[in-house]
Amino acid sequence: MTDPQFDELIHPSTRLSLVATLAAADWAEFAFLKDRLGMSDSALSKQLATLEGAGYIVTERRLDGRRWRVRARLTPAGRDAFNGHVAALRQIVASAAEPVDGPAANP
Amino acid sequence: MEESAAEQAGDALGLVDHAQRQVAAEVGLPRGYWWAMAAGWLVLSLIAQAGPAWLAAVATLGFGMGHSAFAARLLSGRRRTSGLQVSAAVAGRRIPLIVVGMLLGLAGITVLAALALNADGADHPAIWAALLTAAITGFGGPEILRVLRRWTRA
Repeated sequence: MTDPQFDELIHPSTRLSLVATLAAADWAEFAFLKDRLGMSDSALSKQLATLEGAGYIVTERRLDGRRWRVRARLTPAGRDAFNGHVAALRQIVASAAEPVDGPAANP
Repeated sequence: MEESAAEQAGDALGLVDHAQRQVAAEVGLPRGYWWAMAAGWLVLSLIAQAGPAWLAAVATLGFGMGHSAFAARLLSGRRRTSGLQVSAAVAGRRIPLIVVGMLLGLAGITVLAALALNADGADHPAIWAALLTAAITGFGGPEILRVLRRWTRA
């Protein structure tokens, strides 16, 4: 069971989709992420750099034939942060769904 | 205020779910695997029909061993494309069983089709039956696997 921990760095929608994608994979290539998330090269590079700076992902360049390919993978710290953030989101949703006790509830 | 936060959290969870479904949709085997299987099926039937029995036995054994070695890396369903490797948790453990079950089913279809063609008096029933199964495998392999995954919730 992961402790709920809201993470401001992960929460913006683009970054959340990026981290959620990487959380379901061992690694993903830059081109795959760009295609699936509908981002430009520069926007994706910027998001990856931010996450890498926080220690949430690592990127590596691999030579495939004549082309260099960039792969990204989530670090254990990134996975913990993602799991904690999802748990926090679920907690927020669950607490809003709970019935409120009070005078109006018990006439 | 609290409702708005919950709504935003719900939207964020929706984004997470969508992203993870996209990755789960990548579970499968490369298209080349299915065409290689189709070609192997056809070659085996040609050997069985035209060659001696010992050659058919050796070819079938060789095909089985080759498939085992080649498919060991692919049957997990985590490397359908070169763009990512799906995590073991998302791919699950039942993909190899489903693929093997599917291949056994196709073998059954081949035998039934060959028997039906033979009863109908067709020439080379084994080859025609293998051609049918090869077409199903090559053109429809990924789609059949996707449907079987959905049925078995794998």
